[in-house]
Amino acid sequence: MTLRANNIEHFYGSEHILHNISLEIMPKKITAIIGESGSGKTTLLAILSSLLKPTRGTIYYDDILLSNIKNIDLFRKKNIGFVFQFHYLIDYLTLKENIALGALKESDNIEELIKTLGISNLANRYGNEVSGGERQRAAIARALVNSPSFVFADEPTGNLDTKNAIGVFELFRNFKDTSFIVATHDKKIIDYADIIIEMEDGYVKNISSQRT
Amino acid sequence: MITPLKALRKNKFKTALIFFSMVVAISAIFLISAISNGIVGMYSTMLKTDGDIIVTQRGIADTFFSDINYTIKKRIEKISNVKEVNALILGAAPVDNLPIVGIYGVSENRFDSYKLISGIYPKSNEVIMGQKIYKMLNSPKKIVISKKEFNVSGVFKSKIGFEDGGVVMRLDDGSKIFHKSTSIFLVSLKDIESKNTITDINHLNSDIEAKTTDNFIDNYNQFKIIKTSSDVISALAFLMGVLGIVSMMSMVVNDRKVEFGIMRSVGLPSKTIIIKLVAETIIIAIFAYIFALALSYIVLEIIQNTQKFQGYINGEITFSLGALIFFTSVLMAIVGTLLPAIWASRVDPMSLILRGAY
Repeated sequence: MTLRANNIEHFYGSEHILHNISLEIMPKKITAIIGESGSGKTTLLAILSSLLKPTRGTIYYDDILLSNIKNIDLFRKKNIGFVFQFHYLIDYLTLKENIALGALKESDNIEELIKTLGISNLANRYGNEVSGGERQRAAIARALVNSPSFVFADEPTGNLDTKNAIGVFELFRNFKDTSFIVATHDKKIIDYADIIIEMEDGYVKNISSQRT
Repeated sequence: MITPLKALRKNKFKTALIFFSMVVAISAIFLISAISNGIVGMYSTMLKTDGDIIVTQRGIADTFFSDINYTIKKRIEKISNVKEVNALILGAAPVDNLPIVGIYGVSENRFDSYKLISGIYPKSNEVIMGQKIYKMLNSPKKIVISKKEFNVSGVFKSKIGFEDGGVVMRLDDGSKIFHKSTSIFLVSLKDIESKNTITDINHLNSDIEAKTTDNFIDNYNQFKIIKTSSDVISALAFLMGVLGIVSMMSMVVNDRKVEFGIMRSVGLPSKTIIIKLVAETIIIAIFAYIFALALSYIVLEIIQNTQKFQGYINGEITFSLGALIFFTSVLMAIVGTLLPAIWASRVDPMSLILRGAY
């Protein structure tokens, strides 16, 4: 599945956040969106992932226009995963319940995911009973539970030490059928990305490819 | 079911606030409805005792003001379908240190509806007293009503609070105090089909008006006033409950924006969030209902045994009232939650997360 954004503009009130952004996200790649704080990375990520409606512009998943999708929740459930900077696990649910929160009925990979992400022994614990890195692994498992085509991650390593941060990107590499779009300003992990989109003051400044 | 309970346990303080605001609202509805039901029920039961038909002064608004000629009693008794006619004077007067007490002057044939627990039925210048008022006045041998002294000949027990807290005397003694021969007749019939009998009674005298007791109770102005007041206060309590829930749930939703944002981001539909929030409030409503029911029973028991109310405030929680208030409580929870829940379900997930995070 390919993701295309055409002429995206976004305002928060009178503040112009994104300026005429057009780009294409290729399947099965890791794409890093980099830029300073306030450059519009998070807003762009939210718009591309259907979590926020753009003020103007269109988003296509293959040939499907996002704004024409009637059941956007089901579309999101099947095709899109999201990992947040602060993990955002629901604190009254165990890690396993968090992972299963948005699982489709036919999803039968929860146990396998938990094992792959190395949190089998923590599955029945609550978010406040495990470390930041472990919470992030659970959040990644939650994003991957329905084997989506795209996983969007907003500063997924922002609260992790270098070792855990690199671990997250190595994990991403294990899921070869999924495209990862990561907003980050962590230069250490940019090396793990296939494509880099540089943003500045709401504009896409440059798009470059690191691997062929 | 597990998830809403977990969420409620997690948000203990706000859950407790919603719970107590609902308890107050539901208890208010319970108490006002039970008390008005009790008053109407007590008076209705009193009138229905040996009374298929009630005869009052024509065009009078209240039985207490009714004044009819006692001599009509004999003419009513001659109507073929009539089994018995009780004559009553209904009044209220200070008794010793109590400012107002129900006084009932009754014809002799009605005495046996008062179940004596001690003594004998009254002769001239004697009274029997309800058990409650007898205890309140420290088991007196004599009492003064309207400057006249009466010997206490006996004590009776009645489930009707107005009677248990009242004084019963012979009709002629009541007549001397209240300056009327009779307030009402209660007519019991051989055959319950009363239409012709009512017509026959109404033809006897143009100053009287006969109705079936049920019809009289349904149209009695005092009951309508009590019922309307109770309904208005209940509606206000309901509204206060709804507003309390709306404001509390708005705070809850505000606190849990991130949670709802996450749910939306993993593809849970808006209606799931609405159902989840409504389910949480319904659970609170059910517990609040049980608590309010128990509280209301306790308060009613206290009121019933508080001396200054003389047993006249006798709340009655019937099964139908309980069921009605249960559905009202659930409705209160649903109505109060819908607005904040719909708002939470409609905002973009990212906006929820960003607003919740900062």
